[in-house]
Amino acid sequence: MQEEKKYSEPELVMLLKQRHEVAFSYLYDNYSGALYSIVQNIVGDTELANDVLQEVFVKIWKQIAQYDDGKGRLFTWMLNIARNAAIDMVRSKGFQNSQQNRELQESVYEQAGTTSIAVEQIGLRKVVHKLKSEQKQLVELAYFEGYTQDEISKMLDIPLGTVKTRLRTALIQLRQMLKQY
Amino acid sequence: MKLDIQAYIASGVIESYVLGLATEQEVAELEQLRKQYPEINQAMSEFEASLEAQIMANAKLPPAAIKQQLLDRLQDDFNYVPVTATQQQAATSAKVVTLLWNKYAVAAMVILIVASAGLNIYFFNKVEQLQNKYLSLVSEKNSLEAGLNIYKTKALDIYNSMQLMSDPNMQKVSMPGVKGKEDNLATVFWDKQSKEVYLLPNRLPQAPENKQYQLWALVNGKPIDAGLLGADCNGLCKLKTIPDAQAFAITLENKGGSPAPHLDQLYVFGKISG
Repeated sequence: MQEEKKYSEPELVMLLKQRHEVAFSYLYDNYSGALYSIVQNIVGDTELANDVLQEVFVKIWKQIAQYDDGKGRLFTWMLNIARNAAIDMVRSKGFQNSQQNRELQESVYEQAGTTSIAVEQIGLRKVVHKLKSEQKQLVELAYFEGYTQDEISKMLDIPLGTVKTRLRTALIQLRQMLKQY
Repeated sequence: MKLDIQAYIASGVIESYVLGLATEQEVAELEQLRKQYPEINQAMSEFEASLEAQIMANAKLPPAAIKQQLLDRLQDDFNYVPVTATQQQAATSAKVVTLLWNKYAVAAMVILIVASAGLNIYFFNKVEQLQNKYLSLVSEKNSLEAGLNIYKTKALDIYNSMQLMSDPNMQKVSMPGVKGKEDNLATVFWDKQSKEVYLLPNRLPQAPENKQYQLWALVNGKPIDAGLLGADCNGLCKLKTIPDAQAFAITLENKGGSPAPHLDQLYVFGKISG
């Protein structure tokens, strides 16, 4: 379709800041799939993921002026917006109520990372899934569920220092695995 | 303190930062170190790139309807909206036709504007010149007119004076300057019938500010006030009516006149002949 046009990241950011519809359209075409996958990793393959994705793009559009390329790539910035929006959704009352299976919540610590196979097999979670189960659990809780290390320490009854070290080790491991991409 | 860069890079803090898992303190530290150490910056960029690549490679397309919903929702927010294909096509063909015409029109307009600006400046200067000329002519005319009026008045005075002087009833009394004031001269015209007295100050020095010339009629050796010579008197001026006199004289008196003449201030004196 409109694949001829390619924007460099600075160009794209500039056009977005100037409020060009073409730039927004390009941004969506280019990144919606990637951001949808991270949203689904967190929210699950539900109708809510669609709502979150919309909110994510509205947020990106509204907050683009705050994006600072000195702090990282555009994708990193958008990824964090998507992750935060998805975690916020999961924590909202509406989402909690929609989860019919309350028992799942209770066993979430042991079950972390083993929710739905379909969701585990997409996006970043596909890589995380390949980590050792101990590391996988920490990344799941910290990254996909948004718990602080302090909270994780209490949940798993592991000293905070150990949580930190293990999580760091898991992330280094993740980096090694991502290097092939 | 020397930072062990390799150990820092291997610590996992960079990954924590990129994934949004770092603490505030770690974020501040890394943002600082990144600027100082290219290796750290490099490691971060590499991790960001591989993270992006993995997620992009495993993207999952969302339902197509979402994009349209977003575009509708943000419609009022766009400053630059692309023209649709048909609009574009129509615009392009119309452009080709009008482009040449436009070029000439623009050139002609530019020329017109420049020419008009030039003419404006020219006419503005011209108008200003004419206005100045006109104003000086008006003031010249006014002063000429004023001068003319003066002459008119003078001519009328002279005419009236002549009428009086040539009257057969009029007796002329010449009053030459007294001793020491021989240069002075004044003349009294005395109507023998009406007894009216007219004075012509032929040659009298300008009276000082607080002084005035006073005419006296000498009746049987006694001076009688015959009137004051006004400062506005140009030519023949009517003074007091004197029924009888043998001579006339003029003295310089204090303004308003005196009841009796100061003889030391006598200027001219003339006896009536016959």
